[in-house]
Amino acid sequence: MKNKGGAAGDKPGFEDGEGSVVAEKLRKEFDGLVAVDDLDLSIRRGTLYGMIGPNGSGKTTTIKIMVGRLKPTGGRARVLGEDVPIVERVADIGYMPQEMAIYTELTVSENLQLFGELYSMKPGPRAEREEELLSMVDLRERRHSLVSQLSGGMKHRVSLACSMIHDPEVLFLDEPTVGVDPELRVGFWQHFTDLKARGKTVIITTHYMDEAVRCDVVGMMRQGRLIAEGKPKELMERTSTSNLEDAFMEFSWRDAA
Amino acid sequence: MKATRVLAVARKTLRSLKHDKRTVGFLVFMPLFMIAIFGYTFGGSLEDVSVYVVNLDPGVGNASASEAIVAELAASGVLRVEQVIGPEGDPARSVEQALAEVEAGNAWAAIVFEENFTADVLRSVADAGSVPTGVPGAITIHLDASNPNIAQAIMNEVQLTVQGVIVSEYHLLPPMTVSEVRVYGEDAEFIDFFAPGVMGLAAMMVTFMLSIISFVHERSTGTLDRLLTTPVTEGEIVAGYALALGLVGLIQSIVILVTAVALFQVQIEGSPMLVLLIIFVLGAGNQGLGFLLSSNAKNEFQAVQFMPMILFPSILLAGVFWPIEAVPDLLRPVSYFVPLTYAVEGCRSVMIRGWGLGDVWFQLAVLATFAVVMLLLSTYSLKKRR
Repeated sequence: MKNKGGAAGDKPGFEDGEGSVVAEKLRKEFDGLVAVDDLDLSIRRGTLYGMIGPNGSGKTTTIKIMVGRLKPTGGRARVLGEDVPIVERVADIGYMPQEMAIYTELTVSENLQLFGELYSMKPGPRAEREEELLSMVDLRERRHSLVSQLSGGMKHRVSLACSMIHDPEVLFLDEPTVGVDPELRVGFWQHFTDLKARGKTVIITTHYMDEAVRCDVVGMMRQGRLIAEGKPKELMERTSTSNLEDAFMEFSWRDAA
Repeated sequence: MKATRVLAVARKTLRSLKHDKRTVGFLVFMPLFMIAIFGYTFGGSLEDVSVYVVNLDPGVGNASASEAIVAELAASGVLRVEQVIGPEGDPARSVEQALAEVEAGNAWAAIVFEENFTADVLRSVADAGSVPTGVPGAITIHLDASNPNIAQAIMNEVQLTVQGVIVSEYHLLPPMTVSEVRVYGEDAEFIDFFAPGVMGLAAMMVTFMLSIISFVHERSTGTLDRLLTTPVTEGEIVAGYALALGLVGLIQSIVILVTAVALFQVQIEGSPMLVLLIIFVLGAGNQGLGFLLSSNAKNEFQAVQFMPMILFPSILLAGVFWPIEAVPDLLRPVSYFVPLTYAVEGCRSVMIRGWGLGDVWFQLAVLATFAVVMLLLSTYSLKKRR
């Protein structure tokens, strides 16, 4: 196990001063269609970072490049001081894709076990961690249910738990709160805030602009570019708006102009 | 490559099968069903084939060669003599009557003994060893040969009976004899020949099918992509699957072996472990093949379309039911490219001939090469996906 929950800065090849997640002129084209357009991004360690923007604004593509599932067409991306796709510290990142991407023909517990084993966790700590996460996603009673028998929201929660089983340094969550009821969503955000307090970096994409207010830093994306970035409060002040949704609309108009 | 991660992938693959009760049933009962059906169908011999006899031969004195032959035919069990027509009545009408039954599909053959049959036989017997003074006794068989197996059986039965009667009634020994000494396959029956084939076929079918469908599923649901963001490597995923599906093939082979021995007394002269090793390697290779083809299928439905493409050449050309010597020259080179050929050959040699590892090393080496190449190509194709 590489991740000890300690400071990421101890690891070779990673300066704490540099962001945990960095993009320089990052570009991704699909058959001539530009999905990510010379994106510059720097997310510091211990940040709860929200990426907001409409469908097709490049959020998911950016994350897929960061976790090594897509090759950039141009530019550079670094995670934990390593060029993507990262190899050395791959066990220090966690990823929850937008699609369910868990084994529906296995039980909740078996899914968690599989991911734990892939991160070479020892049975003892893995079982402890499983308990912790099952409580967090409120699925303790359903641990022996096949995932295929769960509701959509529950499946999403299993998927979230799987991405966190190994307590990663950097967590990429692509729309983690879709289909999660409001009460539980509050619990999730509390958990993300706790992670941040422990020095973890959490990058979340979301459609729900209201919940992005809870992020330390929000990056607004449009057409593969970052059109605005800052603390939620600042963003609202800069646009003289009272919520992030209006702020986003204002930045979009300015960008289009 | 880390063993714990390979095992994690293998365990998850087996577990997901285990939760699907119907699939478990399919995996166990499909081979059982296959061997039972094939065993009972091919294991039995032909019986009660309907024939009509037209005996135009009145005999000579009290002797009648035709009657002796007809009596033997009726007693054999292979043929069922529905009716003996003649020798009274108009010969042409009698033949017509019997032919009508064959044409109507009520009988497979009309066996006609010509009018002077016994007289011709007696003269030929008297002529034995000197210059013939006439024609030999003649039997004409009007056959419905639309089923070649039945046609063949009727011809064999009549010929064997005729030979028997010549020896028993006329005490004429043939001047030459051919005798058989079995080097391998003493007491071997047809089922002993094809049980190893069915075993290989079942293992290959199922590993290929499970592999191609699992991977199409993994790709379409995004789990494969997700796995690859963890420390698990492409090679470990492929190895984990090969291990799991190889085991599935193995379990099936055990089911088939046990059934074949219990129901049909199939012989296993050599080591059962060697047979299972051959099947495991075959299964691992087919897992790789299924994986490779899965990248060309967009969904499960398209995946299933690959099955006949792979299965038919294997069933027909790999020597499962008939030897590859029976495959036409044009297609025979293809047989040597079908991995199942080597598995069937290997299992057969171990089970019937009792050969050991030293004798089937070539077949095992071919299968191992197939497996290694398939698994490496699978790994490579996964790496390319990034």
